[in-house]
Amino acid sequence: MKKYLVLILLVVSGPLWGIHASAHELTPTYPKLEQSYIPNVLQTKVKIWNARVDVNHYKLEVTDVFWNDVPFIAEEKLFKLDYMERREIEIFLPSDTTAQYICTRSMLQKGARSRSMISSKVCSKIR
Amino acid sequence: MLKNLVVPLASSMLATGALANTEIIGSVDSKCIIISETAGVYGNPNPYELTTAPTSGGVQPIIRYDVLVADYYKAVIEHPVAFSSSPTLDDVVTWDGDVEVSEVSDTNMSDYDTNKVEYDNAHEYELTVAGSTWFKISSEADYGYTKSFPAGTYTAIVEAECIPL
Repeated sequence: MKKYLVLILLVVSGPLWGIHASAHELTPTYPKLEQSYIPNVLQTKVKIWNARVDVNHYKLEVTDVFWNDVPFIAEEKLFKLDYMERREIEIFLPSDTTAQYICTRSMLQKGARSRSMISSKVCSKIR
Repeated sequence: MLKNLVVPLASSMLATGALANTEIIGSVDSKCIIISETAGVYGNPNPYELTTAPTSGGVQPIIRYDVLVADYYKAVIEHPVAFSSSPTLDDVVTWDGDVEVSEVSDTNMSDYDTNKVEYDNAHEYELTVAGSTWFKISSEADYGYTKSFPAGTYTAIVEAECIPL
């Protein structure tokens, strides 16, 4: 319990200490595929949160267990997400899909001022 | 008369208050958050060398991983092996780098470095304890055979991934 409290405090109070932390989160960890309203098409939803002040675009990737891209449909595969915004992403897949991972990757601007940049990629695993 | 009214009314209110008790239900779901705490900077101690070593004027990037539940995720961090932007380079750049745990929120994470798996430029850690882990990345690029880097801005990218197990 104490451990969780420390973790929550760290996340919540970071900005108060002057730590310029910036976070990227994707939930749930294990999304489930469900039948969509279209025959032979499955669907699932994931939610992304952008707390990276240096990033405002993310790329959606769906891959199989070997990290090969698999076909999928989403409203946007490359999308804008402003600082502190959340977005629910609906993904449609064929019923015989081999999709295993749904990932969001931060897109960094070329020529940005920082010389060593951090690209974050958070994935969910389909079960 | 008034007393006869007030006493049953107060009892009724107290009884209602007791009925109004409600539960607060919470759950902790698995979740991984990647936090970029410090963006690195290359120092240029020699004309042919760019390094994040603090002793050479560099700043090491620091990435924090927060996991709310143990054994759900692995962290994969790749130190750079190429510039994402730089002036035109006509000679070979030799890359070196490392990733290590710099701070932990739980002492049980102290063996993360011992248990990590390394391949190519990737360092893979199983996040077996809930809490926060800070990773420090070092990167060094040497140009040619002690050849001077052309003037300009150099950018390299550290890839931080969080993959469910």
